[in-house]
Amino acid sequence: MTVAPHPALSANLATPTQAPAQRDDAPIELSTLRLPTPPVPPDTCVIDVAQLFLDANYAGLLSLPIVAADGAPVGMISRYELMRVFLQPYGRELFGRRPISVLMNHAPLVLSVETSIGDAARAIAQHIRSPITDDFVLVENGRYVGTALVLDVLRAVEGRLADRSTELERAYVRLKSSQAQLVQSEKMASLGQMVAGLVHEINTPLGYVRNNVEMTRGVLADASQLIVAQQAALDALLGGDVVADAQARLDEVETLRLRVDPAALDDTAALLDDTLHGVGQIGDLVINLKDFSRLDQAGAQKADLNHLVASALKIANHILRKRGIEVVHQPGELPPVECAPAQINQVLLNLLTNAAQAIEHERGRIVVATRAVEGRAMVLIQDNGKGIAAENQARIFDPFFTTKPVGEGTGMGLAISRQIIEQHGGAIRMTSSVGQGTRFVVVLPLRAVVREAA
Amino acid sequence: MSDALPCVLFVDDEERILRSLRMLFRGRAEILATTSGREAVELVRSHRVHVVVSDQRMPGMTGVDVLREVAACSPPTMRILLTGYADLDAMTASVNEGEIYRFVEKPWDAQRLIATVEQAARIAMDEFDAQASRGAEPMAAKPAVTAERAAAHVLVLDEDGAIAAQVRELLPPAVAVTRAGDLESALEALATQNVAVMIAQLSSADGDVADALKQLKRLRPAMLAIVLSSLRDSRLLLGLINEGQVFRFLLQPPPRELLRRALIAALERHEALRTQTRLLRRHDVEAPARAPAATISARVLGAWRRLREATVARIA
Repeated sequence: MTVAPHPALSANLATPTQAPAQRDDAPIELSTLRLPTPPVPPDTCVIDVAQLFLDANYAGLLSLPIVAADGAPVGMISRYELMRVFLQPYGRELFGRRPISVLMNHAPLVLSVETSIGDAARAIAQHIRSPITDDFVLVENGRYVGTALVLDVLRAVEGRLADRSTELERAYVRLKSSQAQLVQSEKMASLGQMVAGLVHEINTPLGYVRNNVEMTRGVLADASQLIVAQQAALDALLGGDVVADAQARLDEVETLRLRVDPAALDDTAALLDDTLHGVGQIGDLVINLKDFSRLDQAGAQKADLNHLVASALKIANHILRKRGIEVVHQPGELPPVECAPAQINQVLLNLLTNAAQAIEHERGRIVVATRAVEGRAMVLIQDNGKGIAAENQARIFDPFFTTKPVGEGTGMGLAISRQIIEQHGGAIRMTSSVGQGTRFVVVLPLRAVVREAA
Repeated sequence: MSDALPCVLFVDDEERILRSLRMLFRGRAEILATTSGREAVELVRSHRVHVVVSDQRMPGMTGVDVLREVAACSPPTMRILLTGYADLDAMTASVNEGEIYRFVEKPWDAQRLIATVEQAARIAMDEFDAQASRGAEPMAAKPAVTAERAAAHVLVLDEDGAIAAQVRELLPPAVAVTRAGDLESALEALATQNVAVMIAQLSSADGDVADALKQLKRLRPAMLAIVLSSLRDSRLLLGLINEGQVFRFLLQPPPRELLRRALIAALERHEALRTQTRLLRRHDVEAPARAPAATISARVLGAWRRLREATVARIA
């Protein structure tokens, strides 16, 4: 026996639910899980309802909706409840002819077809009892439109989670590669800045070295001519040449002597001293640069942190000097620190550059101190610059965060610095007050497990 | 040139540079030297300084800052930047604000530096002399608006016409504005008209336009060039300064007000150059480092020839 659909609902149930056709980005709604289960009127007798459960079409359903003549769902009757009644002695005889409304669950889970799968899953979790005996009712504007299975909701949630995790995985891969690019461009940006400074630092001594050498060469050429002429004159005099000849040679000596300025000869010594100094400076810069980049040394090694600091100060010198900043360097006793020196150099240069850029007045002062504290090495870099506004302090280590003008900072410097220090098992901390200055403290364990940097 | 030695002021924060330069110019100039930009400006105020040679990167005042102040307080003093490295922003400022005569790189060539400084010194000495004989009349006094000035002619070399339209809008109607879509027509216009100011867009560093500007400065020293470019190429600008005496260099797109001021300044300077031809020497240029002809097409060369003839005819 079958129960005719409620006349008021027949139109609604004429079309079967379409296969879920969802877009990836739109939240899935319950409407996609709707089953056009014909509703059961509340006055249907229990026997007839039991018969419905035997129908193959209803085999997958845990419960059937009970819907009033006006389309409002009033309850649900579960296969479980009927079985419970029929298993009782005389249960079938006692209840068989009574309306289903006496046995039905008066408070079934009723959800709007517009409910998202996520919300539905939450509602089910709150409503459901073990064992799961009921599915739930779908309504549109309060009127019955079908039922949906708890199992289908679970499947949809699971499918959505799988999609999400694939998406997350893709986003992660994208982020990872763009971060690698950014790290690279930050490196290039600081490299460009460093090269500009170094070019200036090298060209300055090169300027006077070249000029001094050119001038000295001129003076020496004149002087050597004079010596040759003097020798010839002397030979002429001692050799007893004709007097006129000797006189001619002496005249030549006299002319040459006028050309050789004795003051210029005296100055030559000073010029050569400067030249040696300049060549030494260029040599220092080259050694420092090599130390700094550690092109010939990779990975972790025991390094003298004070040496790294001194080398970073030398590299940053052009920025500091350009701004007329006084550097107070206070190296403390430090045991060797196990680290990747090139990476620590990058951090130090970044902190020094930031400190210099934060100073906008002419009494700039940067204190750089090192200290050993309880098996750790500490570097302190403190400036008396403009400080970091309170609202920015929490964000300064965030990737992309920068207060510098567009094109001057990538916003990656401190993010990379922190990453490097943390990879060394260390920590980097900042305190700052606006108008007073900023202090960065880097703490490194003496023995670090250096992981490969990004 | 009088027998007295010119006075040259060197500014560099490295004492050894100063010592070296002092020695190089001993007997050739009366030398002042300082490591401080501020002191340099004071020296120019208190002495008659013919040439200032300044480094760019110095603590406190930069070279451009020094030269800008020198230009303001002693216009006849010639200004040279001598530096180991200057970024494009500093170079642009040295043109637009410092109106420098030469940009020299460290390490320098001693003989060329001597020649450059001596040339600058001769120009400045003449200028100081002329100023003395003229009385207190300052060199950079704004010329009165004369009929000739009202008839000034501005040529815009501009492929798409946008800049020409902006220039037209910024200038009073009395100033004629001609647009040339390519170099050839620009040269034709130059051959037939008395162009006071030329505005050129530079889109490639080694194109004909940069070479043409350098050549033009030799043929028509009174014509002033305003270059607009989005190329951040310091080599290009170095050439435009030393070999082309570019009057203004503006990064594209130029802010309206900046372009307007550049145009007005150029028209006024042109007027000063036209009426006081002695000042033309302040704009003289170095021989180009490479010959331009190799890159210039036959058609452009034809226009060149006509332009030369026109120039010779005008001078004669």
